Amino acid sequence: MTALALRQDGPGTETVPGPRRRLLGLVVALVVLVVLLVLSVMIGSTAIAPSVVWDALFRSSAGIDQFAIRDFRLPRTIVGLVVGVALGLSGALIQALTRNPLADPGILGVNAGASFAVTVAVGLLGVRDAQGYMWFAFAGALIVTLLVLALGSTRQGSSPVVIVLTGVCVGAVLGGAREALQLTNPDAFDAMRYWNAGSIVGRPLEVVWPILPFFAVALILAFAVSGPLNALALGDELAVAQGVRLVRTRVLAVIALTLLAGGATAIAGPIAFVGLMVPHVARWIVGPHQRWIFAYSILLAPSLLLVSDILGRIVMRPSEIPVGIVTAFVGAPVLVALVRRKKASGL
Amino acid sequence: MSNTSLMRRGAALAAALMSASLVLTACGSDGGDTGDKAVETPSVEAAETRSVKAENGTIEVPFAPQRIVTIGNTNLPFIDLGGKPVGVTEVSDSDLDVLPKEQRTVYEAAEIVGSSGGEVDLEKLASLKPDLILVQFHSNDWDKIGKRLEAIAPTVLWGLDTEWKAFADAIAEAGNVADALSRQKAEFKEKVAKIQETYGKVIDGTSFVDVSRGDWSDPGTFYIADIGCSEIARDDVGLDLPEAAEGKDPLAYESLPFEQIGELSKYDVITYPVDAAGQPTEPFVPVVETNTWKALPAVSSGRALGVFCPSNNSYGPVIRYLDSLDSALATLPAKK
Amino acid sequence: MSTHIPRVDFGRRVLVLRRRRIAVRLQWRSVVVCALLAVAVAGTAVLALMTGSYPLSPGQVLSALTGRDTGIVHDIVVEWRLPRVAAALVFGAALGVSGAVFQSLLRNPLADPGIIGFSQGSYTGALIVILVVNGTYVQLVGGALLGGMATAVAVYVLAHRRGVQGFRLIIVGIGVSAMLGSLNTWLILKADLDQAMSAAAWGAGSLNGVSWEQVVIGGACIAVLLLLAGMLSRPMRQMELGDDAAASQGVRVSPARLALILVGVALTATVTAASGPIAFISLVAPQIGRRLARTAGTTLAPAAFVGALLCLASDYLAQHVAPTPLPVGIVTVVLGGGYLGYLLFTEARRRL
Repeated sequence: MTALALRQDGPGTETVPGPRRRLLGLVVALVVLVVLLVLSVMIGSTAIAPSVVWDALFRSSAGIDQFAIRDFRLPRTIVGLVVGVALGLSGALIQALTRNPLADPGILGVNAGASFAVTVAVGLLGVRDAQGYMWFAFAGALIVTLLVLALGSTRQGSSPVVIVLTGVCVGAVLGGAREALQLTNPDAFDAMRYWNAGSIVGRPLEVVWPILPFFAVALILAFAVSGPLNALALGDELAVAQGVRLVRTRVLAVIALTLLAGGATAIAGPIAFVGLMVPHVARWIVGPHQRWIFAYSILLAPSLLLVSDILGRIVMRPSEIPVGIVTAFVGAPVLVALVRRKKASGL
Repeated sequence: MSNTSLMRRGAALAAALMSASLVLTACGSDGGDTGDKAVETPSVEAAETRSVKAENGTIEVPFAPQRIVTIGNTNLPFIDLGGKPVGVTEVSDSDLDVLPKEQRTVYEAAEIVGSSGGEVDLEKLASLKPDLILVQFHSNDWDKIGKRLEAIAPTVLWGLDTEWKAFADAIAEAGNVADALSRQKAEFKEKVAKIQETYGKVIDGTSFVDVSRGDWSDPGTFYIADIGCSEIARDDVGLDLPEAAEGKDPLAYESLPFEQIGELSKYDVITYPVDAAGQPTEPFVPVVETNTWKALPAVSSGRALGVFCPSNNSYGPVIRYLDSLDSALATLPAKK
Repeated sequence: MSTHIPRVDFGRRVLVLRRRRIAVRLQWRSVVVCALLAVAVAGTAVLALMTGSYPLSPGQVLSALTGRDTGIVHDIVVEWRLPRVAAALVFGAALGVSGAVFQSLLRNPLADPGIIGFSQGSYTGALIVILVVNGTYVQLVGGALLGGMATAVAVYVLAHRRGVQGFRLIIVGIGVSAMLGSLNTWLILKADLDQAMSAAAWGAGSLNGVSWEQVVIGGACIAVLLLLAGMLSRPMRQMELGDDAAASQGVRVSPARLALILVGVALTATVTAASGPIAFISLVAPQIGRRLARTAGTTLAPAAFVGALLCLASDYLAQHVAPTPLPVGIVTVVLGGGYLGYLLFTEARRRL
């Protein structure tokens, strides 16, 4: 339903900090991220002394606690970092592309496609292991996003409004079909329960590495189109007048964001609000400059994800709350507060 | 999956604990309107009926029912007792996979009258002209279609919180398959006695823990199984297995992150789920593959035992579980 | 009663019925469309009564309906099929009108009561009753209503800042819905399979096992609410032109908006109580109705008829065409979503 809020996000009239302050802010964000990475390795459901953590990371000693750090905390921290970067950047891309500050990658049908593909894999094809799911999810996300784009494009090119509306509809239809499959197949239902709550736990790094090249390509594409996207924010006509090639810019941005969001969803399942909120906050800090928004999103999104994950580990010890659930609880109040601010309608 | 049944039963137990007072009042009121219910279910041949006590009152069922439809969790336990239902509701593939061949044939010969999570096709059920319907499902589902089932044929309902032995007794009574039940019961007793006799010395003073993972478990989590098959190992066989404090949710309800695998080092023997061929069950494979698991003293010294638990809500699968437990205990190195 | 050519040119043929001082101005096309829809609804209803996995001849159905048959045949036709058909009809109409009210109110073709968190909230309520309290069906219904209403009120209050503005209401709704959605996922995650599937089947919206009791009580509530909606339709139309325009016409905007929200939510709540949330009808029915009747704004009557037809047909498909009987809500999602997608897509393409 994010599609409802289709607002022009005009060029910032608000006070925008100068380059030096932006850079300073970026350094602060980086420091925060590093601190959170360290905390994510230090804090968990079992109490492990810092010296043991050090031991586990930098020496090759074998012990149950050392294995716990190397096998579980380190991988989930890395996964959190990777997924966070991907979600943040894909959110920034789609908000720039649709000129809609409330868009998130989910509206292109990324989550719907991934969940549907996983349900088919589990329910009809009998796939059971996480590696198997993941490629289905990635393929599902990519195919559905491309389908949405194909349906939403006309001979004259693609308009963000049509794309977003198509995404909502395709998402709803696939959602219904998925539910039907799950209700008639208890095995699929059972296996799918966790998929609906995004989580960064228990994803073996071997299944994460193959997705990284896709992310790298997407990262390069994203920064390559950041200039044209700036111009695009002023409206299609102005952008064309400035020499922006609309179709090429859009296609590249869409490829980048699909790879990022699809990969992140494939690894972690649907995680709400990170892609929506972080770019929003980034724009708040740096104003309408895509390159800066991208840079901030890349640092802030994994921070939000890691904070949520750490919270999820400690509030219900010794069991944990999946990070996707925590992000919604952290994110929704912030969204409501944002929209209640004075210039709410302009956002 | 065996684990599914385990969780079903676990929930049932928790429900029983949580709503003990509700159940009591419900029983009381059931007693009150039994006469009413008995009148309400007209039987074809009044002379050849007998009464069965059930969650929905005292039901007049045919003496020797010929066309039985089973709904929900009664499907497999009834077939396990040698019953041949004419209609069943869908059972998950994972449950079917561990079913003995002849039971699977019986299941597949029956008409499917509903998907387990979807809806019961009442008209299809009625068109089978059953003379008895055996039901165990969620009370919400009963509230919705119970009256209609009763309009089709005498219907016997069990709540999800029925203890498995009592459940087997009741199904055998209602479905007229008591002979098979007494054979199974005897075999069960014999197996338990044999395990106690053979391994008494090993079991004594050894602390066990049963760990598991389900299809539904969040990736990177497992749980300590204290309900289901391991409950039988604890209460009937007498293994020293952890148990939730009274009035608390079963331990199996809490998914533990893999980090907690290290905490298992305080137990002498660990049991974990395997399939019929003795391989770790698919959901449990990620646990076995972790270095932390491999580093556990019990695992490195051969005191981690794979045990096969096909299901825990009727005697047949429980006996198969005991056989598996028996051969697993046999591999235990003698105690120092 | 006399037809009369109006002085004002409405741009289309208009039928004016006069009786004493009450004049009802009906748009000719709307009347025809509604009549045709009514015929389609009746036809589908008869078909639904005739079809079932228990083989019955039309003669048997007829004799059961006229009370000449007793026993299981009577039960099947009069106690099972008939209330289900009636429920689909009445609930579908209620959902259609509810959606029309919200779309008009928020001036947004994608609005429905789900927008202000009602659906997610009622699902949360139901889940808590099923999974935490382990309550009865009646408690479940109570929990769902309470959850839905509480969420709707919370969203309304959170979006209230010197009056409620449509855009803010939508955004707050999205936020709160997402949060509750997460909570729901987590509750399902923590439940065991039987309970989770029972909850999910409710959450999908099903007319299986609908009884006369539910139809009569629900139908009575819906009748009253439809009447209220009809009375509010004038200020509703005027508010479609903008708050200021409506105020200049003498509409008290704030109370009227609150009343419309209440009626819209209550209609959906009644249906939810009886059958669980049946998705997408409230979203699609007003759209289809508006296109068929070719009216400028959202109109209630065509939305009601389309809603009834959609619900009835979807339930028919869910019961008799799907390989296993499905909850009706799953079919409405697929059908409704597909159709809406097609409409939006063609319309947007035309605009380009």
